[in-house]
Amino acid sequence: MSNAILIEQASIVEKPEKKAPLGPLFWICVGWIALNFLGAIFANVLPLQNPLYQDYASINAGPSLHHLFGTDDIGRDIFARIVFGSRVSIAVGFGAMVIGFGIGTPLGMLAAYRRGRFDTFMTAFMYILLAFPAIIATIAVLSFWTPRSLLKIIIVIGLASVPLVYRVIRTAALAVSTKDYIIAAKVQGATDRRILLKELLPNIAPIGVSFLLIGVATVIALEGTLAFLGLSVSPPTPSWGNMINESRTVLQDNPWLAIFPSLALCLFLLSLNFIGDRLRNHFDVTEVKL
Amino acid sequence: MSDNRQPLLKVRDLKVTFGKGRHAVSAVAGVSFDIFPGETLGLVGESGCGKSTTGKALMRIIEPSSGSIELEGTSLIGQKGRTLRNLRTHMQMIFQDPISSLNPRRRVKDIVAEPLDCWKSVTGNERDVLVSDLLSKVGIDPKVYGNRYARQFSGGQCQRISIARSLAMRPKLLICDEMVSALDVSVQAQILNLLEDLKDEYGLTLLFIAHDLAVVKNVSDRVAVMYLGKICEIGPSDALYEAPAHPYTKFLLGAALEADPDSPMHNQVLEGEPPSPLNPPSGCRFRTRCPNATEKCANEEPLPQEVAVGHQVSCHFPLTIKQK
Amino acid sequence: MSDLSHELLVVEDLSTTFNTMGGPLPAVANVSFTLARNETIGIVGESGSGKTVLSRTIMGLQPRTNVSVTGSVLLNGNQMVGASESFKRGLWGTEVAMVFQDPMTSLNPVMRVGKQIDESLRVRLGMSKQDAKARAIELLELVGIPSPAHRYMAYPGQLSGGMRQRVVIAIALAGSPKLLMADEPTTGLDVTIQAQILNLLDELKDRLKMSVVLVTHDLGVVATRTSRIAVMYAGRIVETGSTRDVFTNHRMPYTRALLDSSPKVANASHTRLVTIPGRPPNLLQLSAGCSFAPRCSFATDKCHQERPELQAADEPGHAFACWNPLPTQTEPAPHER
Repeated sequence: MSNAILIEQASIVEKPEKKAPLGPLFWICVGWIALNFLGAIFANVLPLQNPLYQDYASINAGPSLHHLFGTDDIGRDIFARIVFGSRVSIAVGFGAMVIGFGIGTPLGMLAAYRRGRFDTFMTAFMYILLAFPAIIATIAVLSFWTPRSLLKIIIVIGLASVPLVYRVIRTAALAVSTKDYIIAAKVQGATDRRILLKELLPNIAPIGVSFLLIGVATVIALEGTLAFLGLSVSPPTPSWGNMINESRTVLQDNPWLAIFPSLALCLFLLSLNFIGDRLRNHFDVTEVKL
Repeated sequence: MSDNRQPLLKVRDLKVTFGKGRHAVSAVAGVSFDIFPGETLGLVGESGCGKSTTGKALMRIIEPSSGSIELEGTSLIGQKGRTLRNLRTHMQMIFQDPISSLNPRRRVKDIVAEPLDCWKSVTGNERDVLVSDLLSKVGIDPKVYGNRYARQFSGGQCQRISIARSLAMRPKLLICDEMVSALDVSVQAQILNLLEDLKDEYGLTLLFIAHDLAVVKNVSDRVAVMYLGKICEIGPSDALYEAPAHPYTKFLLGAALEADPDSPMHNQVLEGEPPSPLNPPSGCRFRTRCPNATEKCANEEPLPQEVAVGHQVSCHFPLTIKQK
Repeated sequence: MSDLSHELLVVEDLSTTFNTMGGPLPAVANVSFTLARNETIGIVGESGSGKTVLSRTIMGLQPRTNVSVTGSVLLNGNQMVGASESFKRGLWGTEVAMVFQDPMTSLNPVMRVGKQIDESLRVRLGMSKQDAKARAIELLELVGIPSPAHRYMAYPGQLSGGMRQRVVIAIALAGSPKLLMADEPTTGLDVTIQAQILNLLDELKDRLKMSVVLVTHDLGVVATRTSRIAVMYAGRIVETGSTRDVFTNHRMPYTRALLDSSPKVANASHTRLVTIPGRPPNLLQLSAGCSFAPRCSFATDKCHQERPELQAADEPGHAFACWNPLPTQTEPAPHER
């Protein structure tokens, strides 16, 4: 027997593990996101103008050495407001997703794994919630739950995203939980908890992570929409959405107030989407495609 | 059974029914057999006969609707929770699709060690040695390939890893559910030889479920033939294949495609399609396609009768066989 | 070779190479064979041998991008290699038809079975609605489906595997093709149903005077139903000849190994199976020598260095590609090193 095995081993040819390359653009996007993060965290200690200081001497000024992106209609430095404003966007984006995924993922995984009554009821419940337009619900709640604060916004958007996260995670987990290796794990005597964490979770993580990043992007854009309706953080706290909203009235005099926050928002969202997409491709463990 | 040994596995009147009321499908309609320690029982039949369902019901992957399953005297029915998980270590299963049997994101040596980790029965260095040993025994060099991910291996190699994993807890019974059906002929031969060697070394008892008659015969000591949820014949492989007592077994053997240009072509072909399990024929389930069927077959279900030592058939008119 | 103008199918030096991320992959290399009218040839090989790629290439089903097909495929005088889509479409169904392995994926699950047969009759042959329906029911009867008028209205999901495969055959026969390519037509079907389908193909072949190319990994399928066989390994034909010659007087060690490694019903239980050590080669990294050499117990140095071409054996039509062939046998000879 040993001879046959040795011959077998000599010709084991490993399948070429060629993961889809991430590419330089991927890393540029990662760098951009990291830069924004750092800006948000260290905004206080960076050499920025005071974002709340109203310099009546330079109203609607264009970009200059003193004010890198110019000033808005009451003299506040746009660049500083963008950096400080990123705090809102990042906090809302990631905070809401933490809530959404924190609740939606375990529920989705359990439902897909257990099936039965839990799955039937939970899925029906979630689908009913999904049928209700999330934006309207968010707007309604935020209109009435005053005084507004960043935390409240995060919570409301976070909860509103739970049904969608549930659906995505459950679908991904369903595909995995029918595989034989899940049955094999059960048959070995593994507890359900062990199976969920060690077998199921790693296999839905790629889809989960890329959906999370796209979700962050969507929520940040949602914050912009809410700001447009006056439902985001109260002024004078800067947020990208707020700034774009404020720029409406002075668009002719001061296009910079619209351009720079929009650029910041756009670039951030594009980077997130790109990273999410590339990651999903990269971690796709299906066969090398011809 | 006319045997003094105690069976390792005793199955009596096992039934598995899906759905309820009018739409109930009895996939397994009352199956009884014994498996003795150290033997290989082959379970053969065509699609829809219930052989895979039987295997899964024994493992309680599918819940049996009624009947009894006893492993060394302990009943497997009605156990729950920790007791069930404990009992499960005595029986393991190998599945048909080698690729989906292994978690593609885990390393091979972790997969094989998983049962040990679940139960923390063997830890640390001893665990690593045991895992390496198992991998070597199935023909995968642990030093070179132990750290690779399961997705990097071919079908035959995945099946070897599955075998190694299932042996980690030294089970008493190994159920092989169509384990070579998805493999090429040459790889199949390697895996079957490996199975035989390991069976001797680990003192395994096997239930080998398959649809390929030649493969089943090669591996088994005794063979049970299933049709539409019931066992129609069970007996020693050589005897059963040489002189089948049940007409269905005879057709099955006749249809087996031999790699021999001189084999008689166009044996009497079994006509028609198997009846729907939703509405099985009364009496003997095979009667709608059996050339020997009579009215008795429609009215009375044939019970197993012994036609030779260790050879039972469920038929009112078994084909004559030589007494050995 | 005999007068080629009488041959229905002439494949000459056909090669199919895929452009992959890892380099060019020669899935089929230098394959040549002919098929006369009313003849059945079996193409046998394991997975990775190139048999499915071969059958699709002959049909002209390879995509144009990332695939390069060279050589010649003359189907009743029509050149398939390099032909335009519209030209090939004119031949599909009327000159040549294909039956695939999995009937569930060959049939449209949301279209009634009768309509699927109709479609090819009306598009291909320009029949009217009533004529097409009548002919479709005729075809369903021809392939042995009971109560064909009733089954005409069935959806594929309502039929069993064997029935579905019969429907696929009916669709293939709708245009009365002269050549039927059957790629693993019975794999996955029950043994008793396999026998039925293969008998059906035999019957139809004789009745309709068709030629059949039967592609399979199962030697049992080809043993009694083909007049000739070609054995493929790593994209090439390594042995070809009449069925009897290949089974009983094979010269190429791979053929012997293939025959030996399948378990036989006639053998006693627990017979140790002869195995072929190792695995099929990686087509991206083929050596200059014989592709089977690393696994062959008879390989010599020459085998590892130089690839053998097909050479004629003693019997007419029998050829093999091997530097160190097994001796001709009138009775089976034992393995010897």
